[in-house]
Amino acid sequence: MAMQGYRIAVDIGGTFTDGVVELLPEGQVLLAKRLTTPDDPSRAVAEVVSDLLEQLAQNFSALLPAEDCREVVHGTTLVTNAIIERKGVKVALFVTSGTADVIDIGRETRYDLYDLDIEMPVPLVPRELRFEIDERLNARGQVLRPLAMNGLDDGLAQAETQGVGAIAICFLHAYVNGSHEEALATAIRSRMPGVAISLSSRVASEVREYERMSTTVANAYVQPIAANYIALLKERLEAHQISAPLRVMVSSGGFTSDQAAAEVPIVLLESGPAGGVRSAVNTASQLGIDDILTFDMGGTTAKACVSTAGAPSITYAFEAARVKRFKRGSGLPILSPSIDLIEIGAGGGSIAYRNELGLLNVGPASAGAEPGPACYGQGGLQPTVTDADLMLGYLDPDAFLGGKMRLDRASAEAALTTLADDLGISVQKTAWGIHDVVNENMAGAARVHIAEKGLDPRRLAMVATGGAGPVHAIEVAQKLGIRRVLFTIAAGVGSCLGFLAAPVRVDRSWSSVQLLDMVDLEDVRIVFERLEDDIKTELGTADAAATASEWSIGIEMRYAGQGATILVTLPYSGIDKTILAELEARFLGRYEDLYGTTVPGAAIQVVTWRLAAQSKAETRVFSLATAASSDESLEAARRQIYLPAGDGYENVPVYERYQIPEGAELAGPLILQEAESTIVVARPAQVTVLEGGAVSVALN
Amino acid sequence: MSQFDPVSLEILWNRLISIVDEAAAAFVRTSFSSLVREANDYAVVLTDAAGGSLAQSSMSIPSFISTLPKTVRHFLERFPASELSPGDVLITNDPWMGTGHIHDVSTAMPIFYGGALVAFSAVTSHMPDIGGPVRTNDNSVIYEEGLQIPRLKFVSAGEPDPVVEAFIRTNVRVPDQTMGDLWGQVAAHKMLESRLVALLDETKISLTDLSREICQRSEAALRAAIADLADGEYHYVVRHDGFEEPLTIDCTVTIAGDNLSVDYTGTSAEVDNKAINVVEAYTFAYTAFPLKALLSPDIPNNEGSFAPISVYAPPKTVLNAQYPAATAARGQVGHMLPTAILGALGPALPDRRVAEGSGNSSITIVGHEEDHPFAVATFVNAGLGATARRDGRSALSFPSNLGNTPIEILEAEAPLLVHHRRLRHGSGGAGQRRGGEGIDFDFEYLGQAPASSAFLMTRRIEPPKGNSGGGAGAPARLLLNGEVVDPIRIKRLVRGDRIIIETAGGGGFGRDNDA
Repeated sequence: MAMQGYRIAVDIGGTFTDGVVELLPEGQVLLAKRLTTPDDPSRAVAEVVSDLLEQLAQNFSALLPAEDCREVVHGTTLVTNAIIERKGVKVALFVTSGTADVIDIGRETRYDLYDLDIEMPVPLVPRELRFEIDERLNARGQVLRPLAMNGLDDGLAQAETQGVGAIAICFLHAYVNGSHEEALATAIRSRMPGVAISLSSRVASEVREYERMSTTVANAYVQPIAANYIALLKERLEAHQISAPLRVMVSSGGFTSDQAAAEVPIVLLESGPAGGVRSAVNTASQLGIDDILTFDMGGTTAKACVSTAGAPSITYAFEAARVKRFKRGSGLPILSPSIDLIEIGAGGGSIAYRNELGLLNVGPASAGAEPGPACYGQGGLQPTVTDADLMLGYLDPDAFLGGKMRLDRASAEAALTTLADDLGISVQKTAWGIHDVVNENMAGAARVHIAEKGLDPRRLAMVATGGAGPVHAIEVAQKLGIRRVLFTIAAGVGSCLGFLAAPVRVDRSWSSVQLLDMVDLEDVRIVFERLEDDIKTELGTADAAATASEWSIGIEMRYAGQGATILVTLPYSGIDKTILAELEARFLGRYEDLYGTTVPGAAIQVVTWRLAAQSKAETRVFSLATAASSDESLEAARRQIYLPAGDGYENVPVYERYQIPEGAELAGPLILQEAESTIVVARPAQVTVLEGGAVSVALN
Repeated sequence: MSQFDPVSLEILWNRLISIVDEAAAAFVRTSFSSLVREANDYAVVLTDAAGGSLAQSSMSIPSFISTLPKTVRHFLERFPASELSPGDVLITNDPWMGTGHIHDVSTAMPIFYGGALVAFSAVTSHMPDIGGPVRTNDNSVIYEEGLQIPRLKFVSAGEPDPVVEAFIRTNVRVPDQTMGDLWGQVAAHKMLESRLVALLDETKISLTDLSREICQRSEAALRAAIADLADGEYHYVVRHDGFEEPLTIDCTVTIAGDNLSVDYTGTSAEVDNKAINVVEAYTFAYTAFPLKALLSPDIPNNEGSFAPISVYAPPKTVLNAQYPAATAARGQVGHMLPTAILGALGPALPDRRVAEGSGNSSITIVGHEEDHPFAVATFVNAGLGATARRDGRSALSFPSNLGNTPIEILEAEAPLLVHHRRLRHGSGGAGQRRGGEGIDFDFEYLGQAPASSAFLMTRRIEPPKGNSGGGAGAPARLLLNGEVVDPIRIKRLVRGDRIIIETAGGGGFGRDNDA
C-alpha cells in the first residue's frame, strides 16, 4: 500500500536554508527558502517549515494534520562551512604524553612536489590548547601506563580561561581500546558538566594517530554547533506538533539518526552535497542518462561529483578545507566515508579582490549570509559573485527568491567600483571578470576530477543544482566542452529533493581482524544478530522497516600484511558455514578483477564485517504542486544581459520557468527565472522543457 | 601544427597522468610494507616504447622520476623489443641502472597494443629488506650491502620465474613483505596496462604522436623559463658532514640562452669506505628536480623536462661513483644537490632566494620478536630553510617526499615504544624569516631479543646555513641512553635502550632586526 501523508526535507546551507514538502504518494512538492540565520540556524528552519505548512494548507485544502508528517529528512553544510571558514568553537585537545605536536607534524610529505613555497594546513587547535596526559597503551590495547589525572585540572583551568567550547581526546592506540579516553571524558565531565567531548575511539576508530586526531579535533570543533542546532531543530518541529522521525543525511549519501548526528557531526561534513548528488542522479535516471557531472553551487562553495552508471563514487579518505585548490593532501584529513566530490570556495557569496600580483581573484572567502553580498543591503561592502551576476543582468533585483528579497543594484555597483578602481579597469569588465574567473576556477577543478576518473567531460551531461548553479552552469559547461546541461526542478533546493529521493539505508559494522581460516562462525552469528537488532531499532518505524527490505553483508578483506582492504559483498540471510568458502572465492575474484593478479601463497584476512539494510533504489518523480497548466500562453519579459560572445549587453527574453509548458522548445540566449534560482543561457542553445518540469539545454 | 586540439591534448595529458596515479593507488593498496603505504617511498612511471618518460605518479619520489625511465632503457639494452612478450615483468636493483642503491627494486612491464610494443609501465619501491646488514653508510663496497639483482625476467609471458623468486626470498629477512611488495608492483603494471589499452582503444590516438607533443610542450616551457634568466655562471658550494673529513659539493650552473648546464667539478672524491656514494643517474635526478620546481613547476613532468638540462660530474667523484662503490646511503649526499642548485641560482632570482634546509634522516630496525621477523623503517624529516618571502617549513620532507610512519603503525610492527614525536622547538635559524623546526623523536626498544638498528643522519656537523644574514639552524644529534653518539655504526639494541634523534633546523633568511 502506498504511503499517505507528507514528508518534509530541510537543508541548512551556508547562505540559505531550503525546505521541500512532498505530498504522498503522488510526489507533488512545494518549496520554501530563507536566508540562513547563523546565530540560531533553527530559526530559518522554523520559518521554512511554517511556510511549507501554509503552502500545503493553501494548495491542498484537505486537512493534513501534523501526525500525517511521515518523516523529516535533513542535511546541512553548516559543519563544513564552519571548518572552511574557521568559525567553529575553540577546542582543547588532550593527547597522550609526547604527541601534542602530532597535528603540526602531520605526515611530513609535500602534496605538491614542485611547489617550493608550499602552504600547509594550519591545525584547528593552537599549540597552547593542547594538553599531554600521562597514560599509555600498546598496539594491542594493553595498558602500559595507567591514566593519570595529574595535570588535568591545570589543563581544564587554562581551557576555561581561554573560553574553550569543546574538548577533543585522542590517545595512542585508542582505536583498539577506548577505555582511557572514556575514563578521561568521565573525569572532565565531572569538572566541566555539560561540556561537549569528542573521543577519537568513537569518532573515527581507525589506526594512524594523525588522521584520527585530525578527524576528532574537527568533530569537536563543530560538535556544539551541530548539537545545538539539532536540539533547536527538534524543538522547532515540536512547536509545529511534528513528532515524525528525523533522519539526517551523512556524507556517504545514507542516513543517520538525529542523536548520532549530534554526537558525531563530522559525518555530516558533506551531507548537503550528498543530497544534491542524490537528486541529480535521480533526475538524470528519470531521463535515462547514467553518466553525469553534478555541479552544485551555493552561497559559499561549489562542488562537482562524477556519477557513472547511476552511482556516485565514494571515498574513505576525505579531506576538509584544502589550502590549495584541488590538491589532495593539502587539507585536514577526515576519516569518514563520503561521496567523492571536489569542492572549491566558489559561491554566490565569494568575495572578489585584487591579489598581491595585482590580479583579480575570487574566493575562497565568502560574505556568507551575514552580511552577505553588497547587494543584499545588509552592510556588506566587498564585491561578491552575486553582485557581479546582478550587474551582468543575470539576476533580477526584484525577483530574487521569488521577489521575497530585493537586491540593491546601487550597493553592488558601489562595491564593484571600488574593486574596479583598484584594478584599473571598468566596472563592466570587473563584473564579467568576476563571473569568468569563478567559472574557470570551477571548470578547472572539475576537469582534474573528471580526468582522475578516466572520463572525457564531453561524454558527460551536467546536472546543475544549488542556488547559484543554474546561473553559472552553462558557462562552466562551455569551458569543459559539455554540450548538455540539465536543470532539475527546484534546483535551488536540490539537496532537499535528494534527501527525499535517497533510499533508506542503515549500516552497522564490526571490526575483528582474523585470518579467514580462523574465523569462528558462531561468534560472527552472535554479532550479526546484535547488528540486525540495532539496525531494526534505528529503522524504527514500521514504514521504514518495511521498505528497507534489501539486506547485505560487506566484508573488508585483504591479504595478511597489507594495509588496504577490498570490500566483498554478499546478500544477507543469516550466517551459515558456506560463507567462508564463498568469501574466499569472492575475494580472490575481486582482487584479480581489480589488480589483474593475486598474491601466490599469501593468507587472507578479514578486517571488518558490515551489515546494511536498504530500500530498493527507484526513480522518484517529483512535480511542482504549483506548476502552471500547460495551456497558459508564453509571454516573456525582456531584459539586458551581458553576452560574452558579443562582449556586450543585449535584450533577451525572460521567462517564468514554471509557466512554460512541458515539451516547449525555446532558443537561447534567454533567462528562465524561478523562485529558487535563475537559469542563465547567455549563448545560442536549444532549450527544452522536459516531462516533469526539468529543463534540458543543448549548446549549439 | 599539432594534430591535437587544445581540449583533446589537455584531456589526453590529464588522462595519462591519472592512469599512472591510478596504478600508483593500486600499488599502495596492494603493498605489504609500511615503506610504500606510509612513507610513500616509491614511484610509478609510464614510458614510451623507447623508455622516454611520459607521465609519473603525482606523489612520486623526485629522484625516481628521472631514474626509472633510464632503468627501462637499461632493460631494453639487455632485452631488446624482439625478446619481450606480453606478460613479461623485468626486474633489477643494480644501483647504476636503478635508483642508486640496491634497496630499491625496480620492475617494468612492456605494454603491447595491436601486436606492437608501445609503452612500459615501470615501478620502483624501497624494499622492507634486501639482505646484508641493515641499511647503513658503514659499508665499503656493494658486495657488503645485500642482495644484488641483475636485469632478469621476474615473470616470463605471465609465468613467474621460481628461481628468481627463490633467490630473493632466501636472501631477505622478511620474505613475505618483500615478495608481497613485488607482487604489488605487478598489480600496478597490470592496472596501468589495462587503463592505457582502454585509452588507446577509445581514442585511436598514436601514443608516439602524443608522446612527442607533450614532451615538446614540457621542454618548450622549461626552455622559455631558462631563457628568462640572465646568461652567466652561478656558483655555490655546500658542505656535507662527511666522515673523517667534510665533503664538498661544488656546483656551477651555466645559463646560455635556453640551455642550462651544471658542472660539479671540484666536488670531493668518491668515498672508499662509506656507503654515501652517488651514481650519475641519481646526481642528474636531484639536479633536474630543483630546476623544474624553480622554473616550471606547473607544467607536467616528462622526458621533455630533462632535455634542456645537462649535468656533468667527474667520474670517481662522490657524485659519479663507479662500481663497486657502496651506495646505500646515497641520499645523504644527493639530497644536498637541490640546496646547491637553489643556492647557486639565488642571485638570478632574488625573490626566490632560500636558506639551506636539511634532508631527511632515517631509522631502520630489524630483529625477531616471538619468532616473527620484523623490519621497520621511519623517516625523520627536518626543518627547511626560510625564503625571501616566508619562514621555513617545519618537519617537512625535501627534496625527497618521504612520510613518517605513524607511531601506531611502528609500534604494531616492531617492539618499540615511542616516548615523543615533537617539533624540535627553537631549532630553526634566526632571521627576518625564521628557519623551520626540526623533529625531536624519542623511542625505546622493548624487544626480548636484541635488534640491529641503523641511523642515517645528515647535518650533524655542518648545519643548514642561513641566507642574506639569517642564522644557521641547529645541527642534528643522535642520543643513545642519554649520550650523544656517532650514528655511523650499526647499533645493537637491547630491551630498555632509549634513542633520541633530533633533526636539524632550517637556516634563517635576512637579519633578525630587519623585520
